[in-house]
Amino acid sequence: MRGRLLKLAGWLRRRAENIAAALLAVVFVSFILQIVFRYVLGWPVGWTLEVSTLAWMWLVLWGAAFVVRERDEIRFDILFSTVSPRLRRGFVVIAGVVLAGVFAISLPAVVDYVTFMRVESVSYIDLRLDYAFSIYILFALAVIGRCLYRIGAALQGKSPETADLALHREE
Amino acid sequence: MSPFSVCLMAIVALAILGLPVGYAMIAGSIVYLLVAGQDLSIAAEQLLQGLRGSFVLLAIPLFIMSAELMNVGSLSNRLLHFCNAIVGRFRGGLGHVNVVQSVIFAGMSGSAIADAAGVGRLIISLMTREGRYTRSYAAAITAASAVVGPIIPPSIPMVLFALVSDASIGYLFLGGAVPGLLMAAALMALNSAMARLRGFPVEEAVPLRAVPRITFRAFPALMMPVILLGGIYGGITTPTEAAAVAAAYAFLISLVLYRDVTFAQAYEAVLTSARSSASIGILIGGALVFNYVVTIENIPADLSAFLADYELSAVSFLLMVNVILLILGCLLEGITILLVIVPIFIPMAQVLGIDMVHFGVVVVVNLMIGLITPPYGLLLFVVGSVAEAPLLAIIRDVLPFLAALLCALAIITFVPDVVLWLPRLLGYNG
Repeated sequence: MRGRLLKLAGWLRRRAENIAAALLAVVFVSFILQIVFRYVLGWPVGWTLEVSTLAWMWLVLWGAAFVVRERDEIRFDILFSTVSPRLRRGFVVIAGVVLAGVFAISLPAVVDYVTFMRVESVSYIDLRLDYAFSIYILFALAVIGRCLYRIGAALQGKSPETADLALHREE
Repeated sequence: MSPFSVCLMAIVALAILGLPVGYAMIAGSIVYLLVAGQDLSIAAEQLLQGLRGSFVLLAIPLFIMSAELMNVGSLSNRLLHFCNAIVGRFRGGLGHVNVVQSVIFAGMSGSAIADAAGVGRLIISLMTREGRYTRSYAAAITAASAVVGPIIPPSIPMVLFALVSDASIGYLFLGGAVPGLLMAAALMALNSAMARLRGFPVEEAVPLRAVPRITFRAFPALMMPVILLGGIYGGITTPTEAAAVAAAYAFLISLVLYRDVTFAQAYEAVLTSARSSASIGILIGGALVFNYVVTIENIPADLSAFLADYELSAVSFLLMVNVILLILGCLLEGITILLVIVPIFIPMAQVLGIDMVHFGVVVVVNLMIGLITPPYGLLLFVVGSVAEAPLLAIIRDVLPFLAALLCALAIITFVPDVVLWLPRLLGYNG
């Protein structure tokens, strides 16, 4: 059962990585198109820039939610890496509770904001902003989920390094 | 206690507890909104609109991607052969090769870490083969020369400085050129002296008649900085567009011209870039949210007023900034400082009439030096793991280089013309 779950998690993660790579490819390709349209064809278009900035915004939030591994994160770890494993697990629990807490408390207001943005749309490609911004809700849910997972692992006595879903793939 | 001090304390506490800095800033800012009784969705709004609205930020994933693509193919290798043919013949030759390739490679990648982990790996293995150089010296000079990378255009830290200061990226890039070359020259002089002192071997010189062939093999790689900088300063492309062109060019020569990169390797390079873009992106997002709090609280104006009371001169202000940043650089990672601490100094610098391009170059040089300052120099860890050398030995060997770079920093700080000469020559009115 557990093995199957891990397999599924690994599969999902690889698909999430496919999407992140694809989003970066979209940033890149639409940018190149913009240059081609503007300098080669002398025919400036607006949608390319919108697509690349939206893809970049999605890349950051999608990537942060599902693709960035604990060891890729930029953190201030002088103290964190020197304390005893027991204390470190305590750190994980406290920080996780605060982070999950503030994201959970602000979630209703965020949902309101995102749904309200349906009144606006991205001008050239005619995409409603609530769709574009819904990625933040997904991101917030993922942050809460990851925190709970890490808290659970820490309470069971696992060190933060192995409490990373991403690592199961390499093992 | 004011909402702002609660916010600051939350951020510091969460970061110390090991949360990634970006998340600590987002969480601290939401705490601020809670305490100040503001709409809790403001954090999401600032992050989303900020990421979507800052066109210059797009240069970051694109520069990261072009560096990754160059690292997987034989491009770096060809470049290395070229540098070796030119400067490898002198005493301490591979040390010189190390610095020169950093200067050329710097014209492409814009990231010191990519520089050290990519080409750095090749040159460290070359230097330590048959025990010609000690592992720690090879690691130390690789780290020191990687520092020069983001000073010479293009440069991801300069893009971030442009974001927080509204200075022109094009002129910032230009401003880094002379200081970067100055620092490279200082490193090479030091390497020469060390080679004599420690008796490093002289490599067998590459025969001159082989040089044209080696140059030809490296030619597409050597054209990269030309295309990139030519595009920007020929007024053809914006710096952000140039980043996309650089990535396209790296893609083209690796996959089509040299055909030494498989599809799987290319995918892996894109994925790695996507991953680092996202982890930098969320840090930028956190800074955008925190920046809202700082602006609402009118912090820069307060600090400027505080400064005015002390009647600080421009020179003593720059000196103070340098000392603060160097100390912070020992503890914090460069991008964090750039996005969180530096914005506080910018209004003060403006009040004191310090040129923004000059200030930007001083700040970036300072932060890059922070990458090799013990104990928290990120580059020291990177080269340490590549060279498999103990950290303490690397630190001992890096100290002379550090001293040389600090001298260069002092010159750049107190002689603004070193920075501003080239931008002014090309039309900057500052």
